Amino acid sequence: MDNVFYTRFERHAHAEGLKGLSTHYCPGCGHGLVHKFMAEAIEELGVQDRVVAISPVGCAVFMYYYFDVGNSQAAHGRAPAVGIGHKVANPNSIVISYQGDGDLASIGLAEIMQAAQLGLPMTFIFVNNAIYGMTGGQMAPTTLPGQTTTTTPKGRGRLEGGPLRMAEVIAQLDAPVYVERVALFDNKQRHRAAAAIKKAVRLQVENRGLSFVEVLSECPTHLKLTPIEAEQWVKEQMLPYFPLGVKKDETVEPWFDLGTPTFDPEAVLAAIGAPRTTAPRFGSGFPAHLDPEDVAIKFAGSGGDGAQTIASLANRAAINEGCDSTYIPSYGPESRGGTSYADLHVARGEVLSPAAPEPHVLVAFNPQSLAKFGPKVRSGGIILYDTSVVLEVPPLDPTVQVVGIPFTQIALDLGAVRVKNIVALGAFQAATGIFPAESFLTVIREAFEHNCALLPLNEEAFTWGGRAFEQTKTPAGT
Amino acid sequence: MATAQTKVRPKPFLFPQLCKACGRCIDACPKHCIEFATEIDPQSGLTPIVVHEDVCNGCGLCFDACPEPYGLMPRTADFEGVDMVVSDPYTTFGARTHGAPQAEDIPDRPVPLPAVEPMVLKGNYAAAVGAMLAGCRHFFGYPITPSTEGAELMAKVLPEMHGVFVQAVSEVATVNMMYGCGGAGLRCMTFTSSPGFSLMLEGISYMVGAEVPGVFVNVMRGGPGLGNIGPEQADISLMCRGLGHGNTHAIVLAPSTPQEMLDLTMEAFALAFRYRNPVVIAGDGYLGQVSGRVTLPTHLVQPGIPAWAVYGDAMHRGNLITSIYIVEADLELHNEKLNRKFADMEAAEQRSACLECDDAEWLVIATNTPGRMAGGAVQQLRAEGVKAGLFRPITLWPFPVDALVPLLERARGIVVVEAGPGQLEDELRLALSKRGTMPPPIHAVRRHGGVLPSLAEIVERVRGLTEVSHG
Repeated sequence: MDNVFYTRFERHAHAEGLKGLSTHYCPGCGHGLVHKFMAEAIEELGVQDRVVAISPVGCAVFMYYYFDVGNSQAAHGRAPAVGIGHKVANPNSIVISYQGDGDLASIGLAEIMQAAQLGLPMTFIFVNNAIYGMTGGQMAPTTLPGQTTTTTPKGRGRLEGGPLRMAEVIAQLDAPVYVERVALFDNKQRHRAAAAIKKAVRLQVENRGLSFVEVLSECPTHLKLTPIEAEQWVKEQMLPYFPLGVKKDETVEPWFDLGTPTFDPEAVLAAIGAPRTTAPRFGSGFPAHLDPEDVAIKFAGSGGDGAQTIASLANRAAINEGCDSTYIPSYGPESRGGTSYADLHVARGEVLSPAAPEPHVLVAFNPQSLAKFGPKVRSGGIILYDTSVVLEVPPLDPTVQVVGIPFTQIALDLGAVRVKNIVALGAFQAATGIFPAESFLTVIREAFEHNCALLPLNEEAFTWGGRAFEQTKTPAGT
Repeated sequence: MATAQTKVRPKPFLFPQLCKACGRCIDACPKHCIEFATEIDPQSGLTPIVVHEDVCNGCGLCFDACPEPYGLMPRTADFEGVDMVVSDPYTTFGARTHGAPQAEDIPDRPVPLPAVEPMVLKGNYAAAVGAMLAGCRHFFGYPITPSTEGAELMAKVLPEMHGVFVQAVSEVATVNMMYGCGGAGLRCMTFTSSPGFSLMLEGISYMVGAEVPGVFVNVMRGGPGLGNIGPEQADISLMCRGLGHGNTHAIVLAPSTPQEMLDLTMEAFALAFRYRNPVVIAGDGYLGQVSGRVTLPTHLVQPGIPAWAVYGDAMHRGNLITSIYIVEADLELHNEKLNRKFADMEAAEQRSACLECDDAEWLVIATNTPGRMAGGAVQQLRAEGVKAGLFRPITLWPFPVDALVPLLERARGIVVVEAGPGQLEDELRLALSKRGTMPPPIHAVRRHGGVLPSLAEIVERVRGLTEVSHG
């Protein structure tokens, strides 16, 4: 015999006694029937080698005892997520996610909703028997109103809510292509159930989309009924709440194709944007005139001032010049409008501490930044601030060179207030002489590589910033 | 109609001991030719059904009503003369649990990478680039500050490599997608931060139990609860001692620069697959955001597929990914196997870095960004003539105690610097205690809530100790 079930259930208690050929399910349980229909579908579609069956938590937790396919056993409720992992790992695999009502409709609601909303071609089989089986007869999300369980001893009442109709819920989403509710209680229903499961697998094999089959099933043990009575119970009690039939059936052309992941080094380097050409150097290395080993700089302003952008540009310029450099942003709680400062280090060897609580240079875009960080600047250091907005300079260390430049006004004169940070960068370069202007202009050009229209404005802003600094050196009155 | 009349339809066959006596076939039979036997089957202890074949017309409806895979089935030639007492199914159905071929490892392949200029990357980006160079083409994640840039870069770049980026519905779903993708034998990862990492712990326990590899970058932020988005190191206990329920451990790598974010992420994938276990990269919020120079490696990895994977093809059909061992003896054996693996990791995977440790009298122990601050402090202390050294654990679990112990002979004191409540110190003390090593006095510099210990605080603390000991 060669079929989709193992010829001996080795994993079932090491196949001791009759367990090698018997399931662990109670007599009359619907799971065995659903398993058989699933096996038939896999066999008829000829996809046994490609199937990955996801076992849930619940009575079907040991589904992997039986199916001679790739098996993956998931945590409670997570089978759809595990299934997605398998499906995207190997789009050619046929993923069948099998879950009960507690697993899918209670603890795993988020996972099944996302899977259904994504709509990858996968097959979901949802076995609804209106009760928790494995934990011993507690209320399920699909338990009927008034139904007695160990956690609804007086019957499911108003406080316990009503049954969740998952087939209808899934069918109202855009992505699933086929949703049907079937049952097992007589020959006709079993025939339909087998056909629905086959179709649900076929739609995946044909790469068309996600299918969801809800199977109303019997749990004679916890309903405390005989198997035949349980069939009747499903028919008479469950059907009024869970109407059978096709809930959604769309014709969709095959679409799912993820391509083959590439490991070609050229493609990978291009994708990650690795620089292929050596950045030109314009300076003579580390700016030792600012500090023998490690220069700390702080750019500070409000969110939107552009302090982060120029810190990042300076970071890149420093690395291009062969120094080690770090840049760390520190935003306020909001990314716009809050306080925003950036710490930059440029080191001869390795930057050790990337923070700049006591910088050599401060660039301040507003009065608050100047008041807060100005007094922290090291003696002999440099402060540049925006005279367009800072009207009063707080008392500062007299050894610090304090330079006011109208960053905002210059930017306005250039026609774009947003380039005030580039004006400041130009002034910073001129005031510190940290690296030549050309090394900053190079990183500015690189940054605007894909937005050439804005490049001239930014180049001009940088140049004007430098020029404004030079003008401050002209003695007053000349 | 002619065929229906001439076709011989097989009648039912049943090994009576495999009948659970549910009676669903009785209800299904339109000819009423099935009933319960009156005698108990000695093997099953139940009263199986019997089929009155003289009435049966072979309609087959009972086959589809029987829930057992080896219950009622069509009587074919296979069953001619079989022993009706199934003592061992192999004697009946052949000695073969499954028809799948033997799986073999498809090995990883290193691919030379052309030399390129250093990149300027923030820590989160560097880890993402490291993952891509390590052959990771599958990313699952849920956005959380301050780790999100890593996910964003993966979302942008992975599709260009025909990789897959999935934004999961939650961290809970994330880790389970990783369970699936890692279970398929592929390299996958996530970026998260402390609250998100908490949510992933359930799944990490399953991954350890089922021996599924995967890489988690936890860019630690301020806690507990929602805390804030500043840098903290208060998940160390969680990562080293609390990876979900049960007997779990994972190698925890602690980078301190963007370069190490890249290098250690690449290393993490190798370790995850070497040990079939998750690996955690412990970053901090500051490291995630700090930009620096990053040099790319000489090779990238084109990953293979391990023999154990559930890939969804013929070769891997016989495989199973599970953490259930329902028989106690089996689960004990499985735990003993995991324990051997954990012991191997402890013996072989300790990593650390030293700065000025050789003659150090005052050992500063710090990791991640505080490790950088501590490095600066040690240099400043050396300039002042204080014999200070930095011991920087790169693996937090296993704690690199082997490299530390020889340094303790000369040490007059240890100062553990951390952005947290002393969890690094706990790991240190536990490792020394297990070794039976009595350490010199252990002092601490601790900040919390997103505040990092500053270089000045560390210098001051060590300087204070030297003054006390001189006085």
